[in-house]
Amino acid sequence: MSALALAVALLVAGGLFARRGLMLFRIVRAAKPSDRSGEMPQRARAEAVVVVGQSKLLQRLGPGLMHAVIFWGFLVLLPTIVIAMIGAVDPHATLPWLGPQGWYAALVDAFALLVLAGVLAAFFIRKVQRPGRFKGSHLGEADLILVWISGIVVSLLLWHSSQIALGLNDYPRESAPVSNLISHALSGTWVAVLERVAVWAHVLLILGFLVYLPYSKHLHILVAAINVFFTRTRARGRLEPVDFEKPEAEVRLGAATASDLTWKQVLDTMSCTECGRCQDVCPAYTTGKELSPKLLIMALRDQVRAQSDKPLVPNAVTDNVVWDCVTCGACIQECPVGIEHIDHIVDLRRNLVMLESRFPEEAGTMLRDVDRASNPWGKAPSDRTSWAEGLGVRVLQPGEPPPEVLFWVGCAPAFDERAKQGARSTAKLLLGAGVDFAILGPREACTGDPARRMGDEYTFQRLARDNVRTLNDSKVTKIVTTCPHCFNTIGNEYADFGGRYEVVHHTEFLAQLVREGKLQPAAGERTITYHDSCYLARHNDVIGAPRELAAASGKTVEMARHGKRTFCCGAGGARMWMEERGRPINEERVREAAATGADTLAVGCPFCTVMLDDGVRNSGAKLQVIDLASLLSEAVERKKAQQ
Amino acid sequence: MPVLVLMEEGDPSLQMLTLAREFGGPLHSVRIDAVDPFAPDALAAILQRAADDLGASAVVAAGSDRGNDVMARLAARLDLPLAANCIAATPGNPVAVTRRRWGGSLLEEALMHSELPLITVAPHTIPITEGTPPVEVDVKPYLAGLGASDLVVQVKEHVAPSSGGVSLAEAKVVVSGGRGVGSKEGFAIIEELALLLGARVGCSRVVTSAGWRPHSDQVGQTGTKISPDLYVACGISGATQHMAGCKGAKRILAINADAEAPIMSLADYAVVGDLKEIVPAISAEIRKSR
Amino acid sequence: MVLNAESTALETKHLGFTISPHEECGVEEAVRLIESGGGESVVLTLGPQEAVEQLRDAMALGIDRAIHLQTDGREADGQATAAAIAEAIRADESASGPFDLIFFGSESADAGGYQIGIRVAYALGRPCVTGLKGLKVEGSTVSCEQDAGGGRDVYAVPLPAVVTVKEGLNLPRYPSVPGRMRSARKPVATSTPSPPQRRLELTRLAIPGGQGRKTVVLGSGPAAALAVVEVLRKIGIL
Repeated sequence: MSALALAVALLVAGGLFARRGLMLFRIVRAAKPSDRSGEMPQRARAEAVVVVGQSKLLQRLGPGLMHAVIFWGFLVLLPTIVIAMIGAVDPHATLPWLGPQGWYAALVDAFALLVLAGVLAAFFIRKVQRPGRFKGSHLGEADLILVWISGIVVSLLLWHSSQIALGLNDYPRESAPVSNLISHALSGTWVAVLERVAVWAHVLLILGFLVYLPYSKHLHILVAAINVFFTRTRARGRLEPVDFEKPEAEVRLGAATASDLTWKQVLDTMSCTECGRCQDVCPAYTTGKELSPKLLIMALRDQVRAQSDKPLVPNAVTDNVVWDCVTCGACIQECPVGIEHIDHIVDLRRNLVMLESRFPEEAGTMLRDVDRASNPWGKAPSDRTSWAEGLGVRVLQPGEPPPEVLFWVGCAPAFDERAKQGARSTAKLLLGAGVDFAILGPREACTGDPARRMGDEYTFQRLARDNVRTLNDSKVTKIVTTCPHCFNTIGNEYADFGGRYEVVHHTEFLAQLVREGKLQPAAGERTITYHDSCYLARHNDVIGAPRELAAASGKTVEMARHGKRTFCCGAGGARMWMEERGRPINEERVREAAATGADTLAVGCPFCTVMLDDGVRNSGAKLQVIDLASLLSEAVERKKAQQ
Repeated sequence: MPVLVLMEEGDPSLQMLTLAREFGGPLHSVRIDAVDPFAPDALAAILQRAADDLGASAVVAAGSDRGNDVMARLAARLDLPLAANCIAATPGNPVAVTRRRWGGSLLEEALMHSELPLITVAPHTIPITEGTPPVEVDVKPYLAGLGASDLVVQVKEHVAPSSGGVSLAEAKVVVSGGRGVGSKEGFAIIEELALLLGARVGCSRVVTSAGWRPHSDQVGQTGTKISPDLYVACGISGATQHMAGCKGAKRILAINADAEAPIMSLADYAVVGDLKEIVPAISAEIRKSR
Repeated sequence: MVLNAESTALETKHLGFTISPHEECGVEEAVRLIESGGGESVVLTLGPQEAVEQLRDAMALGIDRAIHLQTDGREADGQATAAAIAEAIRADESASGPFDLIFFGSESADAGGYQIGIRVAYALGRPCVTGLKGLKVEGSTVSCEQDAGGGRDVYAVPLPAVVTVKEGLNLPRYPSVPGRMRSARKPVATSTPSPPQRRLELTRLAIPGGQGRKTVVLGSGPAAALAVVEVLRKIGIL
């Protein structure tokens, strides 16, 4: 009888789960392609560290531990599902080998308690602490899931205790201290009933959970592990290119509707647990803009689930949400389930820009300038060398033998007054250290990063191919640049267009020169706080070298949000050229810098230089914004003066 | 030989006379309001006949929109070359002219092979010099001789600017205030100067965020890109986004207490100091000179 | 600005080319008129081989076909350019029917001659209104608006007509990628006009002194007011 009942329950639950699960699987299968092949060792490592090790979650210790114990408990308690099902049919039977193991019973008891403690902690966080990151999440659903988990664990404990009370335990009762303890309170004829009720409740709760799974955000327990496996491992700053060579009807110009999303993006939406960590660290959300990465993914998930063919903009998200993003990647850094929000936003932008020509007007000026003048300032390419006036920098002419390293200047230092300093200091230091380098001068064109981040992949690819041709013809193999965006695009993205070079950021290059003794600095009196650029630290892991330079120049002090958890200056995602509503991101960051008590705000990026300098001027903070190269230059002069 | 000039109200025509005098002969003028409302083909017809009757050695006008319009039609009627926006001309055969290109960033030297040189003079590039004013031509007989085809292109009506005052985007002069103005009330001196210059008041983003001025006054990377003849930036530091909104300005005058502010090296003219003292001083000076 | 060795032209080695802003507004207006009223639009240019790129850009905005009058790259003066254009238009009209409206830019951004549109209009015997910031086709007339004295002057002329327009007439759209792809397949008819006479003959280009604008500091404090007023007078504001 019991076997029949279990079989029926399994069939019904399994069938319902399979039907819904299959529908979701079909959506993923029908989605657009995304190349996530290769990198198997790195992917396996990510699985181990992020999923099993819960590393991303533990970035916030309290909530991280809370979830970790529930998750590890889930892993440990997995076999108990089978044991319970066997026990539901026959109270005397159990899983061969594992069932009678005392150590396993001990583990089960321990983790059952830990899970309950975790659930309690979760309720404490949600009901008492009430963090802002839950704003917009479906709290009722979360409460239900937590209660359900408690129910599963409590019923398991009650079953174990009543089994012990009835002498049905297959393991020594002392090895399950909690269940043993509870069992002492159980005596009487009703314990037999309790035992049956508990085991069936446990089985039905689990099967019910299984059915509920693909309808709720708890689906993440199946999908997240897969999603994490397929996230980018290296070259995290690289966007997937659009293939324009396909027949016109097949070219995927970003995403207009849910069916345009790639399978990875669909998996992203299915993995979201609405935890809100991304929302918490988003510079746009923090400064009062409409964009919340969490709400974006949730909205896309709704469209995907409904298999809707309505345009995502404005039905899932508004235009503002799409343009608020600075592509800093803080959301991706925080996300424990491997969601890559930037891909979603850039695909929405690609469609708006390339198909509908729908974007903030002022950004259109920048796109036109990039297209026609090959730089977002719209200035003449022949002006690209005026920053280097009087320095004696070699300009590489076509056909000349290549230098050991090419100094790729970028547009900002060439055309923006305040950004020039970093390039000048770098050039002077390189000359002083006797490095064999040259610049391309007017033959440099914008790397295309602002166009690409805006979604204008067409213009980007044209620029990329032109630049790759110039670089390949010049036969350079090593490139140093002061701009993290150029660094990311040339280093990570140009390979897709035939450009493979060793690309180094100027802070890395200069730090190496200091280590080799070719540049000798003497630290001064400044108190320096270094602002990590998103495209350096978070997208590309360049964190140590800039700090070496800062430490060589003065006393250093860190902001709370530093390294991979740095806070954006606000220029990324082509937002440098867009009007900002709400509180300015750059002023937010300047406030944080000023609060450290530093007098110097060191940067390694010409855009950060301009944005943070504006931030200082607008907020009246007592800080000097200065590039690390200039600080190092100062330190080198100081040493010379001392000698 | 006499030189025929087309005269309009304002300094550019007076400046044009300096170049016209280079041709040596007595000056005769036709006023641009000889045909009212303005009809450029009719004026071109009048100029053609007057030049013919006078035996003129050249026809010269100011390079204003209307001046260029009329002179181009005259050139088309006569199928002769027109040298527009000149800053210099040397009579002879051929006439040697120097013209402005790219809004003045480049100069062109050219030779005009023509039996009747047609020239317009770039405004505000040549000084006004003393000299006999031109003799007005009696246009009555020419007016009588106009045909219907000469009056097809004629102003039918003049529409006054809609909301009392030209929009920020169209304004020829904009006086803008930034963080340095200090408060909503602080804008009184900015408004005063704007009034004296016939200018619109603008502001930077900091001011709009602080609620001192409405968003419609904001100059920046929003849709209100401005391209005035003169942009006066008071207490504005010159953030990249703000400068992008006013980079169309032909000239920029910056008034700022901080000599190192980015705008101070981007402007054409700069005054260092407290705008609260400088702006009223400028207004006072303008009133004195009137 | 960098000039070539003979100082007869700009050094274009590192420069990209683009449609003049006034002309771009003309292209956009033409596309809008055809979108709302039906019909066919054609873009024409006189220039060297590379100018085809600008024709493709215009067709990416929605123009149907292009005519390229190919030259050797040397400049032609206003009369010669207008004559070649007028001849090409006459040829196209005899083959495909008359144009209701012909758009020119008010003046080209580089040479700034102001005269091409007017000369072509006279050659074709059609009325021409210049420097337009507003335009509305009403049946067989076109109502045109020019900026004048703080407001607008309104003209009305019968079609067929020639207009020259100014930046600000509209906001040109950003070409969509499908538009660009389609543009690559649209037809361009190429012909070589006869070599022009040169009656306004360019001899030399020069970069005016005082280029590389340095900021003129007029003074500090209220004492600088006098210098400011002088400058205001000099540049024609006062």
